[in-house]
Amino acid sequence: MKKLLSIIIVALFSVQASVVLAEGASKPKVYGKKGYVWDEMTPERTQVLKMGGDPVKGKESFRGCQGCHKADAAGVTEGVYPRLTGQHASVLIKQITEIRAGIRQNPKMLPFVEDPAISVEEIGDIAAYLNTLTTVRENGKGAEDMSAKGKKLYTDNKCSRCHGVNGEGDAAKAYPMLSAQHYDYLIREMKWIRQGVRGNSHPEMVKAISKFSQADFEAVASYLSRLPDYRTVTAAVPAAK
Amino acid sequence: MKDKNTRISLCAMGALIGMLAMPAVQADPAPLEERLQLCGGCHNPDGNSVIAENPKLAGLNAKYLQRQLEDFKAGKRKNAIMDSIIPMVEESEFKALAKYFSEQKRLPGSLAVVEPVAADPSAPAAAGALSEQAKAELIAKGQQIYMEGVMASAVPACGGCHGEDGTGNDKFPYIGSQNNVYVVNQLTNFKTGARDNDPKGVMRAVAKRMTDEEITAVAEFIQTLKEAQ
Repeated sequence: MKKLLSIIIVALFSVQASVVLAEGASKPKVYGKKGYVWDEMTPERTQVLKMGGDPVKGKESFRGCQGCHKADAAGVTEGVYPRLTGQHASVLIKQITEIRAGIRQNPKMLPFVEDPAISVEEIGDIAAYLNTLTTVRENGKGAEDMSAKGKKLYTDNKCSRCHGVNGEGDAAKAYPMLSAQHYDYLIREMKWIRQGVRGNSHPEMVKAISKFSQADFEAVASYLSRLPDYRTVTAAVPAAK
Repeated sequence: MKDKNTRISLCAMGALIGMLAMPAVQADPAPLEERLQLCGGCHNPDGNSVIAENPKLAGLNAKYLQRQLEDFKAGKRKNAIMDSIIPMVEESEFKALAKYFSEQKRLPGSLAVVEPVAADPSAPAAAGALSEQAKAELIAKGQQIYMEGVMASAVPACGGCHGEDGTGNDKFPYIGSQNNVYVVNQLTNFKTGARDNDPKGVMRAVAKRMTDEEITAVAEFIQTLKEAQ
């Protein structure tokens, strides 16, 4: 009897210990914490990328996002909610899965994307759908055109190395498209990335914009928000021979 | 035609019978017509409840209705009156009831009786009743919230999911023309967590971000929403 009791006690403790271990293992590593690696694949993201997405189903699933991002997915010109149209599916999948995993800190959006508000399948579907959309609505551009200064800052700080010369980003590397994004959203996110509050900052980007003044943020945002949707630009460029 | 007061007393009586009958009540399947008398006392036989506290069921998605009945039965959604009525109804009847009410046409307005009822000018104004002007302002504020949301507190626009005319779809219930007091109560219950049978917790997340004033305003606007013809 005593033996049985001690077995039960030991069993209970080991269950508890394994729960603690499991929690430790699944705890997300946020920017600024030891062990953080930008773009580290989460099991869920791997799963979503493997499954692919169905834009037709995605249109249905997007209905739950429209309350903020609007029916045309162009967000709001005030920049509180970003424009999502035409964004690379890989970027959208990275961001949604990282919000769900607690890496990107987005308490406003979390209740609407966390499991089971949307399923794993729906992540890829929504991303595929949004990627097919073009923007017809005017985006927020800020009051003053500071494109010339912004372009210089964008080039000098080698932003184009990742985000492209036309602000097109890089689908393969999950670098977001920035062209024609809302001015205020761009400023907010640059600041949140630098401060680390976004949770999934790229350390190289933090370095690149570490000395930006408020005026610099505004100039770069002014430039990017005035760039046309990258697809209209690249489509006009003749294919290289 | 029964007037509103008769309906309310019928409804209260039904609840009382239900409460007295509990807990030894036996649910025996009954024909739909008989059931409609039970449900109709509070929700009107055509599902267009004339009591502001009670929801209009007409036009709601059948699956949504069935799930609500199941949740009441299982205690996952609570309401004093429904808790006393639901033991009388057999689970096997839910599907037919849900189908019936889903097929009824939702009528606009707060008093969706068949014949138009003119406001009784001799009736004393309810305590705290709003002036026409104040009510119009409240509805306009509600419309703003419904269509655009509240950016500062990240309240999504209701119309995003429920549709700009409030008709919803198979995922998001039909809320257009819904009774104002019922909407206020549901949003408040979602806000406090007293109602937690929203499958994804989304309504709780939304309502938690709303002030009581915003809830009142949006409920007033929702009541004025009519299905696009």
